[in-house]
Amino acid sequence: MSTSVHETSSVKEYFAALINGITTTVHGMWITFRYVWGVKHVSIEYPEVREVLPERARMRLFNDVLNCISCTQCAMACPVDCIYIASEKKPEGAEIKKTSNGQPIRLTLTQFVIDTALCCYCGLCTTVCPTECLTHSHDYEFSQYTIDGMKYDYLAPDVIAWRDRIVKS
Amino acid sequence: MQTHWDVGEPDAPTINKDTEQLKTELLRLNMGPQHPATHGVLRIEIWTDSEIVAHAIPHLGYLHRCMEKHSENLDFRGVIPFVDRLDYLASMSMEWTYAMTVEKMLGTEVPRRAELLRILTGELQRIGSHLMAFGTYALDLGAFSPFLYAFEEREKILRLFEEVSGARLLYNYIWIGGVWNDWTDDQLARVSTFCDTMEEEAKKYHDLVSMNKIFVERTANVGVLSIQDCFDYGATGPVLRGSGYKWDLRKNKPYSLYNEFDFDVPVGIGEVGQVGDCWNRYIVRMKEVIESIKIIRQVIDKLEPGPIMGKVPKIIKLPAGEVYVRAECPRGELGFHMVAQADAKTPYRLKVKSPCFTNVSLLPHIAPGQMIADFVATVGSIDIVLGEVDR
Repeated sequence: MSTSVHETSSVKEYFAALINGITTTVHGMWITFRYVWGVKHVSIEYPEVREVLPERARMRLFNDVLNCISCTQCAMACPVDCIYIASEKKPEGAEIKKTSNGQPIRLTLTQFVIDTALCCYCGLCTTVCPTECLTHSHDYEFSQYTIDGMKYDYLAPDVIAWRDRIVKS
Repeated sequence: MQTHWDVGEPDAPTINKDTEQLKTELLRLNMGPQHPATHGVLRIEIWTDSEIVAHAIPHLGYLHRCMEKHSENLDFRGVIPFVDRLDYLASMSMEWTYAMTVEKMLGTEVPRRAELLRILTGELQRIGSHLMAFGTYALDLGAFSPFLYAFEEREKILRLFEEVSGARLLYNYIWIGGVWNDWTDDQLARVSTFCDTMEEEAKKYHDLVSMNKIFVERTANVGVLSIQDCFDYGATGPVLRGSGYKWDLRKNKPYSLYNEFDFDVPVGIGEVGQVGDCWNRYIVRMKEVIESIKIIRQVIDKLEPGPIMGKVPKIIKLPAGEVYVRAECPRGELGFHMVAQADAKTPYRLKVKSPCFTNVSLLPHIAPGQMIADFVATVGSIDIVLGEVDR
């Protein structure tokens, strides 16, 4: 199909094609050869050296349950329905705490679970959060042996302890 | 009901008069679903006569994710992450077209800065997508290093997108009514320096691949498509322009602010080979990169501070009706046909007209008579993304 050097080509055409083949190949090889020296490495030796992620990078979700008002807006915004929230009314006369930006917490949060295996990291839940307690953290190393391990209960003490590491100020 | 896969063995074409009496059989060969040349999971059933392809039947659906049906159960903002996953190499263009669809029904006015930022991201995405097409096409034809050079530049684009949107591939950046985040001056300055380096890199790619004798031998005069073929099968984008027809929605039916910009529409003119072959389709993409750089430079000059989000209600409810919006994506013309019912929070129907789907339908037409190795070059030159074909 292609215009290869076939029997009918004249001697002149034959040598023209030959020279063209050699020069273009050498030219391309020279471009690659220049990469032997003087070019900065772009690869990062991963476990030892880590890339600094941009501030807006969307990695694993973290919910600061102490600031959550159980409004369920994040669960409604989620396109894959991976956020499970349950809450109950506070008994009468109980002290109503306030979040860091002054919103009263009227409900007691009893369950806040995110199935990270379902999460598509779109960031829609974080944009609707009125108290900005649900955020994307910069943790990206959380592979698990079982799929159940991807469900994070943000009311568990060990997960609450992440707060010191993730939430600044 | 007879389906297309149980039509039985196609008749063998008579190629040589002398062997007419001999009984010849076609050999069935499966290319894919895990063939590197199919760029995803496309299975092409090839009936070969020795090394010549007699018939090629693409089998789709390996990456079908029910996106159109699923979006009927999502609110209008929630569809955007799914739209991203159509053409995962050009997510920005997908989001942009979807956002325009909903905005057209809502009648939302998009602020000027947001429109310009959309053009900026859309054109950067076009460069990134064409770099990917360039790299993988060279990879299909057996050259490995162009792929690495292309990825080095693409990485800069992805890094910029990661900084503004937070993700590297599936951005969810262009929202209904505007864009999510603003670009800082520092980032825009980096875009300018990227444009300068990209121009030099494009020259390097040209020397390295476009004029290389081996590359030219593999692609010139291979898989020739006439303009009439493109019209018959509804091909768009670089495939149509490679056949020499000057059609670009950005120029012919300007949407957004494209009528303010000065750029050319490159078409295949047959410097090497003939118009409509694989080489011309390839070179159209490389020329479009240069045109996109032109547009990006103009955007940076025009950008002025301002709002980046228009007035959109908190819960989007569209009026009853339907709308069809199309836009020029890196791979061709993408269209969204949306039907909405009054006061519904979800689309009633969202039909995607995908450019790759129409382009892949050309394969059974080009394939007969080609060598198998040329067929690989043809599939690569059409540049399909299977996420968009199967949806």
